[in-house]
Amino acid sequence: MRDLARYLLAYEAVACKTSDPVESATLRVYEKLRQSLGAFAGVFGFQALAFRALTQAKSEAPGLWAVQIAADGSLQGLGEFEPQLVEFAPQLGSGKDQASEGGVILIARLLGLLLVFLGGTLTLRLVQSVWPDAAFDDCNSEIRRKA
Amino acid sequence: MNTEDRVKINKLPTGVPGLDEIVGGGLPEFSFNIIAGAPGSGKTTLAHQFVFANATPERPALYFTVLGESSIKMLRYQQQYTFFDPAKLPDSIRFINLSQVVLEKDLGAVLEEITREVTKANPAVVVVDSFRTMVRKPQSDLDLQSFIQGLALFLASWQATTFLIGEYAEDELRDNPIFTVADGLFWLRQTPERNSIVRKLQIIKLRGQDSVPGLHTFRITDAGVQAFSRTFGLSGRVKDPPSHRRLCFGIPELDKMLGGGVREGDSVLVAGSSGTGKSVLATQFIAEGISQGEPGIVAVFEERPQAYAERATTLGLDLETPQKDGKLKILYLRPLDLSVDETMHSILDAVQKIGAKRLVIDSLAGFEMALSPGFRADFRESLYRMIFALTGIGVTILSTVEVDESFIEFPFSTYSISFLTDDIIRLRYVSIDGQLRKVMVVIKMRGGNHAKDIREYEITDKGVVILGKRLSDYQGLISGIPVHSNRPDPQEESTQEPEIGSHE
Repeated sequence: MRDLARYLLAYEAVACKTSDPVESATLRVYEKLRQSLGAFAGVFGFQALAFRALTQAKSEAPGLWAVQIAADGSLQGLGEFEPQLVEFAPQLGSGKDQASEGGVILIARLLGLLLVFLGGTLTLRLVQSVWPDAAFDDCNSEIRRKA
Repeated sequence: MNTEDRVKINKLPTGVPGLDEIVGGGLPEFSFNIIAGAPGSGKTTLAHQFVFANATPERPALYFTVLGESSIKMLRYQQQYTFFDPAKLPDSIRFINLSQVVLEKDLGAVLEEITREVTKANPAVVVVDSFRTMVRKPQSDLDLQSFIQGLALFLASWQATTFLIGEYAEDELRDNPIFTVADGLFWLRQTPERNSIVRKLQIIKLRGQDSVPGLHTFRITDAGVQAFSRTFGLSGRVKDPPSHRRLCFGIPELDKMLGGGVREGDSVLVAGSSGTGKSVLATQFIAEGISQGEPGIVAVFEERPQAYAERATTLGLDLETPQKDGKLKILYLRPLDLSVDETMHSILDAVQKIGAKRLVIDSLAGFEMALSPGFRADFRESLYRMIFALTGIGVTILSTVEVDESFIEFPFSTYSISFLTDDIIRLRYVSIDGQLRKVMVVIKMRGGNHAKDIREYEITDKGVVILGKRLSDYQGLISGIPVHSNRPDPQEESTQEPEIGSHE
């Protein structure tokens, strides 16, 4: 799932430069998933899923401690988290790459839950419907392997 | 009005095996339907089957979920069914959750939201699951009626075929406006019958279409809902003209007693107590058919097909080869919770698959025991429908039935079903000269004359073998305790043979 998450973040990072450079790639990926999954599973359904994903992600990326899921399922505190993480990365003994890994972990956890509940085929179709122009060939095999 | 001037209502496939037949050929396009029933009765699965059968990217299906089962969990479970095609998501089938608007706003806002989504997607199918939870909040009757009316009118105008799913109790049928507005009302029931669960489906209402009335059994398997029409899928089928062909047992003396064999398309009952050779006779009937190029089906309930075939081998009858060649199918119908309609479905499938001309049901007692207790009460009625349907398509049925041996009466069957059969062959034990011997007699042949002789027979490694001539030296043979008449046969005649071709 991390490869897929990394791919989506990279994809949105490129898109950020051309559209809204202020918004982080993690937030863009998350928001797109929220819009799509929220319509499909409902606000409460998505919020519950996201809360679980964040809880799991925090155990792997302690720097996400300030991040929270709002009642409407939106992500709060990520704006603070990403600069902090990069700023304190040397003190934490981790580099910038590791710091940005927090976003990857969160998205990967969210996708991982979808994989658990819906299986590989439906998860991939859902992701493809959110990013219709992205190429998912490598991710496809990763999802199938995990499923 | 001229027939040509009438609007033609397209019929959509339901995606549920057996249901198209029940609803009269398919579901009316643009109809507004309710699927009602208790939780776990299969409402959502039925709706999904319809959606998967009809949704396309051009005319997708919108599946509105409300409170209750979450979409994620629903998809998690529904994808286990074989009809579930993930390639249809999300282009052809779109799930939209309305929980928030239902919880936070009024019915007007809900209708607005549905209208917005429908206008955007132009769907061919709309499902609201569960509609009941959508209208659960306290509101005035007028608001509710106005909402239902608005929804029905909008969706019909938008040329969508709609299903509203709800957990309704049957006593709500009278007062709920939703049932008045609906074009189709499908009621799913599941009721415990002792240790079994019996599922039944009823089309309470279906406008503009001739649906099959009554309660139809259904089952939920890994293929989803499967319905079994009370007409066994044979309604509208032209009955085969009566045949004058005779089908033999391959037991020359018995065939003579039957006037050359049983008439094709007859229902034959072989009755006798345990060990009298009913199954042997049935096996010989099937084996003879196969040797004459007539494929056959044996429905067994009390033993496995392998054991049945092995027993035939001891009689010198090969049932293995015709099974491999597709000329014979031995159906073992699992002995639990069956409905007659399900059994019929299995038998009809097999009949159509191999073009069977002969069918053995061995035995009726086993068949009855295989049914769920709830269906046993209707056994005679179900048997009547089954025999009528099968003989109507030219299949000759031989059923075996065990009867208790009695020395004060001569019963043909414990089920009082002799009126369902065209021909009856009765086997029984008699006590003669200190031995328990076996005799047979043809009791009845609806399609022609038959011998009245009581003949002794044995079961050998060649099967049933009829011995000598009729037992004319004894009186009271059918009592089982005959008395030797001590007189020579007055006629000194050979075994009486019927005048073939004459009718009762």
